[in-house]
Amino acid sequence: MARNWRHYPMACALVGSLTACAASVRQAPVDFHPRAASMAAPRVAVLETVTIKLPTAYIRTVDKGSRWALAGQVPQGDVYRPVGTVFTIEGRQVHEAYLVVSQQAIVGFYLPGDRTYSALPTPVSLSLGDMQ
Amino acid sequence: MKQVMKLLAVAMLSILAAGCATGTKFSQMSSSIPPVRADEGRVYFMRSSSLFGAAIQPDIRLNGEVVGESKPGGFFYVDRPQGTYQASTSTETEKTLSFTLDAGETKYVRSSPSFGLVVGRIVLDLETPDKALQELPSLSYIGTKEIARR
Repeated sequence: MARNWRHYPMACALVGSLTACAASVRQAPVDFHPRAASMAAPRVAVLETVTIKLPTAYIRTVDKGSRWALAGQVPQGDVYRPVGTVFTIEGRQVHEAYLVVSQQAIVGFYLPGDRTYSALPTPVSLSLGDMQ
Repeated sequence: MKQVMKLLAVAMLSILAAGCATGTKFSQMSSSIPPVRADEGRVYFMRSSSLFGAAIQPDIRLNGEVVGESKPGGFFYVDRPQGTYQASTSTETEKTLSFTLDAGETKYVRSSPSFGLVVGRIVLDLETPDKALQELPSLSYIGTKEIARR
C-alpha cells in the first residue's frame, strides 16, 4: 500500500501534463449568416443520442430529446444552437459551440465566441425531428 | 504521532474552510438582484463549495478585465453588452472559455479545480441554466463591483 502511494505524485504529474498539453481546437474564420431576428427560428429535436469524439480526444454527447434552433448558415451547412442548455467543445481551450449540420450529419461546429468554424474529420450522422 | 497528524489535519481543514466564500447566500438576495438591462446580458460566475483545490483562488478575467475571484462556494455576476467574450483565470496554464452573449441573455460560467503539472489550476466551462439554478441558492455572493455600480 505504502509503495502505491509513492507513485501518486508521479501519476498526478503525468495526468496534469497530459491535460496541460491537450491539442488546440482547430478552427478557421467563417462567414456566418444569422437568421433574421424577425423570423421565428425553426426548432428541432434530436431523435437519437450522438457521441462525438473530437480531434482533441475530448468526447461530447448530443442527447436524445435535446432541442436546437436554426440560428443561421455557414458555407458548410445549417447552424443550430441549443435551446435551454449549453454546448461546448474542448481542447486546450473551451469554446461555446453550435452544431453545423449538412445532409443529416454533424460536419463541424460554429464557435460563436470566436466567430470561427471547426470541422470534424468525419461527419457524424444526426437524426433530427420536429419538436413535440 | 497520531495526535500530531490529527492536529495537522484540523489545521489544514481550518485553512481551507477560511478560504471558502462566506457572503450572503443567493437564496437570501436573489429577489434584490436587479433585472438585466434590455441592451445587456448577464454572466454568472460560480464555483461549488468543495474543499478539493480550495486553496486555488485565482482572479477571473472577462476579455482581459479582472471581474472577480474563483472562490469555493462563491458566485458573482457581471452585466455586459451583447458580444463575444473570453473568460480566463490566471493559474499554471491559462485555459480560456469563449462564448457569445446576447442582449437579455443570462449565461452561467462554472469554475472548478483540476490537476496541473506543478500546481492546481482552475478550469472554466459553461453550465446549463438548470444545473446552475439548482446550485446557486447555496452559494455565497462574493462580488462587489456590480452592486457598487448600481
